Amino acid sequence: MPRLLTLLFVFLLGCRADADPNTVLLWHAYSGAEQEALRDSVTRIEHEHGIDVRLVSVPYEAFADKLTAAIPNGNGPDLFVFAHDRIGHWTANHLIEPLEYYVDEDVADRYALEAISAMSYEGSLYGLPLAVKSVALFYRTDILSAPPTETKQFFAMEELYRDDWDGYPLVYENTNLYPHALWLHGFGGELFGSDGARTSLATPEAVAALSFAKQLDRDGVVPGGVDARMVATLFNEGKAAMAISGPWFQNDINSDVPWAVATLPTVSETGLAAKPFLGVEGILMSSRAKNKDRAYKVLNALTSDAEAIRRATKAKQIVPNHAAYEDATIAQNAALMAFRKQLDSTVPMSASPLMRSVWTPYQNALLKVIDQGDDVADALRSAESEVKSYAEGQQ
Amino acid sequence: MRRNWWNSYVLAALLSVLVATAAFVSYRNAAFERRELGRATLAATSVSQGQRPMDNVVAAYVVSPASPSAKYKFLRERSVTESDGTQRRLGGNSARPHDKRIYDAANQFDKTGTFVQLVTDTDLVIAAQPAPTGVAIAITTPPTGPERFPWLVVLGLLVMGSLVCAAGTLVGGGARPLGLALGASGLAVPTYLWSGLAMALVLIACSMLVAWADWRGSLRRAGREFRKGGIAYAFLTPTAAAMLVLVGIPFVVGLGLGFYNNNHGEWTFVGLDNFIQILSGDGRSLSDPLNFWFTLGVTVAWTAVNVVLHVSIGVALALVLRQKWLKGRHGFRMLLILPWAIPNYITALIWKGMFQFEYGAINSVLSTLGLDKVNWFSEWSTSFASNVATNTWLGFPFMMVVALGALENIPSDMYEAAEVDGASPWQRFQHITIPHLMPAMLPALALGAIWTFNMFNVIYLVSDGRPGGGTDILVTEAYRWAFERGERYGLAAAYATIIFLILILWTIIGSRLTKKDAE
Repeated sequence: MPRLLTLLFVFLLGCRADADPNTVLLWHAYSGAEQEALRDSVTRIEHEHGIDVRLVSVPYEAFADKLTAAIPNGNGPDLFVFAHDRIGHWTANHLIEPLEYYVDEDVADRYALEAISAMSYEGSLYGLPLAVKSVALFYRTDILSAPPTETKQFFAMEELYRDDWDGYPLVYENTNLYPHALWLHGFGGELFGSDGARTSLATPEAVAALSFAKQLDRDGVVPGGVDARMVATLFNEGKAAMAISGPWFQNDINSDVPWAVATLPTVSETGLAAKPFLGVEGILMSSRAKNKDRAYKVLNALTSDAEAIRRATKAKQIVPNHAAYEDATIAQNAALMAFRKQLDSTVPMSASPLMRSVWTPYQNALLKVIDQGDDVADALRSAESEVKSYAEGQQ
Repeated sequence: MRRNWWNSYVLAALLSVLVATAAFVSYRNAAFERRELGRATLAATSVSQGQRPMDNVVAAYVVSPASPSAKYKFLRERSVTESDGTQRRLGGNSARPHDKRIYDAANQFDKTGTFVQLVTDTDLVIAAQPAPTGVAIAITTPPTGPERFPWLVVLGLLVMGSLVCAAGTLVGGGARPLGLALGASGLAVPTYLWSGLAMALVLIACSMLVAWADWRGSLRRAGREFRKGGIAYAFLTPTAAAMLVLVGIPFVVGLGLGFYNNNHGEWTFVGLDNFIQILSGDGRSLSDPLNFWFTLGVTVAWTAVNVVLHVSIGVALALVLRQKWLKGRHGFRMLLILPWAIPNYITALIWKGMFQFEYGAINSVLSTLGLDKVNWFSEWSTSFASNVATNTWLGFPFMMVVALGALENIPSDMYEAAEVDGASPWQRFQHITIPHLMPAMLPALALGAIWTFNMFNVIYLVSDGRPGGGTDILVTEAYRWAFERGERYGLAAAYATIIFLILILWTIIGSRLTKKDAE
């Protein structure tokens, strides 16, 4: 019986710790250096502002589902770190708190306009940005002396097709919409109409972009059927000269590989820059946060210029704060500067709930065309009708 | 026959009080909310007319219209006029305690044209009303709590009811149940006044049910039964409660969801629409992977192929492992059980890697042999075969273990007798081994079929439905409707219900088969 009582006591204690109204509970899905940097920032802020902050790491795959389940029941976090593309969905479900009450122009001026705008939805602001993520062009400096500046060079650069090296010029996940979007934008296409509500997948521009991706595969410029892990392996083993990936890829490159990052080339057919998707990671506030004033203090401090500089230096995050790029050590980091430059030529991912219905059908179209050799226009048309049927079922 | 009426009456009265309390609480909360919302709205109206607010007002202001920032269209400022006539920005460094509530209320009012809310955790009521120079917001606090529970009324009715019940018992015969039902139904009157006819009828039905059970003598029997096995029931209670919470409730909720449609968190009742959409194939051709019947066909084929392979490989290996001449039998047995001991998603990921086109183990072997590489997931047949290969690897050890156990139990003298009688090895297998294996294999087969039917991990991780959803089975299809195709939770729940019905049907057929075999 005493043991049972002790157990019960420990259990109750555990419940109490969760519900402590003086603690700001922050969920994140960071790992490695990013997690460490966040932990450092939190310790400093706890000290400076005298607020207890409890960090809870939640696996990325489960993050969104856990949020949707926990917040309405009052068990969720006060603040959480996530990418901006679910904001539309979360506002519809009343999961997140608008921040216009707290944020003024001085605070907004800290960030690149693309980044803070991405955190807004239908005329309200829902978070402050921590980091921006987009892909750019990694290349091995032992194979390539300079990166290509336009896409036709992929097929013709002498360094890529010499006799003593037998590898692929380029590697990227070519059946994943996330990297494929850069060709789509480079050929002048877009996923949603200008009003943001209409999906138009089977446009001539989209057909041209997908045909180009297919040509890359067919002509042996990129290997087929690779996933993220294999992109890293091929690049590390020197079996690929270039890789299209994001800032996280820096940690996957072996220390003995000489590499550099460049902005993506322009598409030769259109003369437009290949613009990748921009994902903005920010801190958002739960609509059920226990003490919103206190939670905002933490949110504001974590996204400040000083913390941004620390995150950029330590975790190599591409921070959206202007002040960071005036910092001497950051200005010397060529990779960070290259990603910052790429930021100016990106397309923010749509935060509309419709976006979530687009991924699977679009990726099926990519698979059908690149893997199975189906007709490009047919594949995109069937993806479009599939997305439309999902959207209609919701009305 | 003067049975004790007291126990039955207590049971009926308890049920009545429960129902009546539920009715009272819902009535009380609604009445309280109506009263307080009205008070706050009145306060806001008087503020909008420039009058001083009434009692119990925590804060009241006329809030200026939002002024959007020139640079950022999503930033808006609002200010209020203090009683001394000074303008003050809401929020910022000099924020007052209720600034955020006032700001939010004004925003909500601008969006929807009306706003009034009871903030339950702080006991505040916020209301907004239009004002000539913006929005009038008033925050009030309830002067008194909600209505008290009317103990006296309830007690009085219960005492009166007990008299009626006792009188009924004294008269005897049909008057007893009548008295019991009537006596316990007294609370139906206040229940009707609090929350209407439906709850009152529920209460009366409960009383009548108890009276009927009392009349039939079921209550006494149940009481005796409970006293006899009291401890056993006490031990069963925690498990029963856990089952109810972890299985019962989710199951009922899941069934219910199938009749609703989810549109970004708004649930609407759609009746059988989801089921009709699924079962009619939603206007898609039979060869379209999104058509339910196509998926069902794939699922049935998937289950059949797998179970046949699992059982035949499992039994064959068990027969080999039983041979006395085989050295290191235990070692082999351990090795062969290993695939089962490894978590199935890890196995699935390993197989997925082996089927990878460019660098996977299988294609590497093929190209070393001088054969063409196969793009496993681009064709339905190869993709399906990849899934089957993975799941066969995962599934045969179970069948093997079951078969081994059953084989151990076959008395060896039967074989000896058969051998003496001149039966060939095949005849021995056919007439001794198979009949003895059957009783053990049939339940295992039924179970294996259910597992395979719902083998989410292999399909999702190995082929992921490729090509184009063609190798998806019903469970993965349900998952995709819930999480990949615009959160159609209702449709996914309907899928789950259909899967459940199919499996129930299969279980019934399976148990019939087993029974028939046992006879």
